[in-house]
Amino acid sequence: MSATIAQAPARKWRFSLSQEWLLLIGIATLFIVVGLINPRFVASRNLQSILLANAYVAVAAIGMSVVIVSGNIDISVGSLIGVLASISGALAVAGVPVFFAWAIPVVISILVMMLQGALVAYLRIPSIVVTLGMLSILKGGLISVTNGVWISGMPDSFHLAQWHLLDLFIAAEPGKQAAVPESLSALKPMFDLLTMPVLFMLFLTLGAAWWMRNTAKGRSVYAVGGNAEAARLCGIPRERTLMMVFAVHGLFTGLAAVLFATQPSVIQSTVPPNLELTIITASVVGGVSILGGTGTVIGSTLAAILIAAIGSALIFVNISPYWLRAAQGILILVTVLADIYRRRQRGLAR
Amino acid sequence: MKYSLMALALGATLLSGNAFAAKWDGGDDLPTNPLPCDGGAGTMAAKAYDGAAVTGSVDKSGKPITLVDVPKLIGIGYFNATTKGMQDAAKELGNVKVTTDGPTEAKIDEQVKFIDNYITRGVDGVLFAANDPVAIAPVLKKALSKGVHVIGYDANSTPDAREWFVNQAQFNGIAKAMVDNLAKEIGEDKSFGIVTSTFTTPNQARWIAEMSAYAAKCHPKLKWLETVEAQEDNILSFNQASTLLNKYGDQLSGLMGMTSVATPASAEAVTRSNLCGKVAVVGLATPNAMKPYVASGCVKSVVLWNPVDLGYAAVYVTRAVVDGKLKAGATSVEAGKLGKLSVVNGSEILLGSPFVYDKSNINNFDF
Repeated sequence: MSATIAQAPARKWRFSLSQEWLLLIGIATLFIVVGLINPRFVASRNLQSILLANAYVAVAAIGMSVVIVSGNIDISVGSLIGVLASISGALAVAGVPVFFAWAIPVVISILVMMLQGALVAYLRIPSIVVTLGMLSILKGGLISVTNGVWISGMPDSFHLAQWHLLDLFIAAEPGKQAAVPESLSALKPMFDLLTMPVLFMLFLTLGAAWWMRNTAKGRSVYAVGGNAEAARLCGIPRERTLMMVFAVHGLFTGLAAVLFATQPSVIQSTVPPNLELTIITASVVGGVSILGGTGTVIGSTLAAILIAAIGSALIFVNISPYWLRAAQGILILVTVLADIYRRRQRGLAR
Repeated sequence: MKYSLMALALGATLLSGNAFAAKWDGGDDLPTNPLPCDGGAGTMAAKAYDGAAVTGSVDKSGKPITLVDVPKLIGIGYFNATTKGMQDAAKELGNVKVTTDGPTEAKIDEQVKFIDNYITRGVDGVLFAANDPVAIAPVLKKALSKGVHVIGYDANSTPDAREWFVNQAQFNGIAKAMVDNLAKEIGEDKSFGIVTSTFTTPNQARWIAEMSAYAAKCHPKLKWLETVEAQEDNILSFNQASTLLNKYGDQLSGLMGMTSVATPASAEAVTRSNLCGKVAVVGLATPNAMKPYVASGCVKSVVLWNPVDLGYAAVYVTRAVVDGKLKAGATSVEAGKLGKLSVVNGSEILLGSPFVYDKSNINNFDF
């Protein structure tokens, strides 16, 4: 038993690494091919659009990956992000200091997710049922409360997602891009890309990847997801681990919601359609096994970037965005096939 | 043989593409009826009156009347605006009393209950904006049978359940306003893209088809580049609009938003890309969602109708019906400050040209 546990991490790391390389190759190929067709696709302006507008999906996919690795799923995440964004915007409009307009939704997100986690962990209700219920409650509740009225008139400083890295050091005025010093002007395109959502995406991905790989708590998620009974016999309690998983997921969902809310000038107070599917797709294509137990968040972030890039590429090559759904489906199938192939190679096919 | 046929077909397609102005993507294939370029009324196929008749009503011509207005729901900016228009008209006329009452959620069963209660209580007329055109019909027919006049506005019922319907905008009218404003803002020989919900959404497809026909007739040099679909999703609309801006660069001078989601998202994309003043955004949208962009000067014209005028016209139409001035077969009706409104589609009153919200008036509206 102890041998299996000791062996498991190394094997999983190699597994997911190859999925990550696959995604990197996919992203590179896409940029080269579409870039050749229309060079504007790889212009820094378009790269910024792709990263900036989708970083929140990658952040939410980190939490989703943790949940799926633990052997669960959350389909309420899209609705929760919609609700939290409205709460955040409403607080800012009501004159609450912006820090609290950002922080309160994150706290609510953690609490809501822990509630769901408790139902899954202690009452042993399947997570798909719990989160389906939450999805309906949030979706219906949001429309009833807001009547579909959009939220606008947030103060400028609320728009965290519009801050650039340089704003922190040079200009104290958010939203207005700081002037790049003469000596650094060659690096300007890079600074343009380093907006808050992109920085959040980078640091949260690396932080979560480190936590999942190198800490006992992070490893326990894999253990519970791989085999809850075996994990219990090793002294890893399923219940407490799941509570932690959902709390972590709540944290990332809350942060994603803040990035989502602070980007536009107007918050559409309805639930973003199909957002949960896009987030789950990013996790699965990132190499997280839907059966639990394997996968990393670096993969899910790369997958989120790939999906966003495909969406943009479709317009550059004049293909209807409806193919984006089809493309996501193909990505999922390719991922699963690649996974089966790799398992076969190692003689692990089930 | 097969290949030569294919080549022939391909050649023919390319030729036809060059010979005729290509129809814009996202439009439907129904016949179009573009309005004249100069702002005339255009031709309208004549249609016999297809509304219902009221039975057993007391002649109150010129006498005070009491009306009830039951909108889809109360407490939202849009219907607050129609209510204001109704009160304005009632005040002007002096012999009309209007009460607005209705459900707090847009639910048809609640709306039916409200109308039923007012029939029992006794009113001279019911004004409604239907939550469902078919489900509301029985209670409206009940009102007609008890001598209560029934006039619709904003959202129609089946024609046989009401006398008249005040129609806020026709497809060709919206199309003309959109294209005229775009051409005014970007110039006659510039290029633009369209952000719509889906290629098959009925209203949007109709508008795009009418816009395409009107532009071919009145602004032939205006160049359409591409229509992208964005469903009714704020983020997707923003992404699609941004990608259009990135794809065409300097070539693109304007974006048209076909939904109340796509238009603000397009304005957001132009703002974020620092292209305000270089790329114009013209579109259908509600004023509240557009206020930030109109205030910043990034957007100059938002096309829609004016709900205050809509409510105002509904009361004038009801007064005209009670006074016997608006009967089956009429071609127009006087509506106070709005002037003569024309009768279209048998039993509908057309509110007139769409309303363009701009910096000077947008803050007077809250919906």
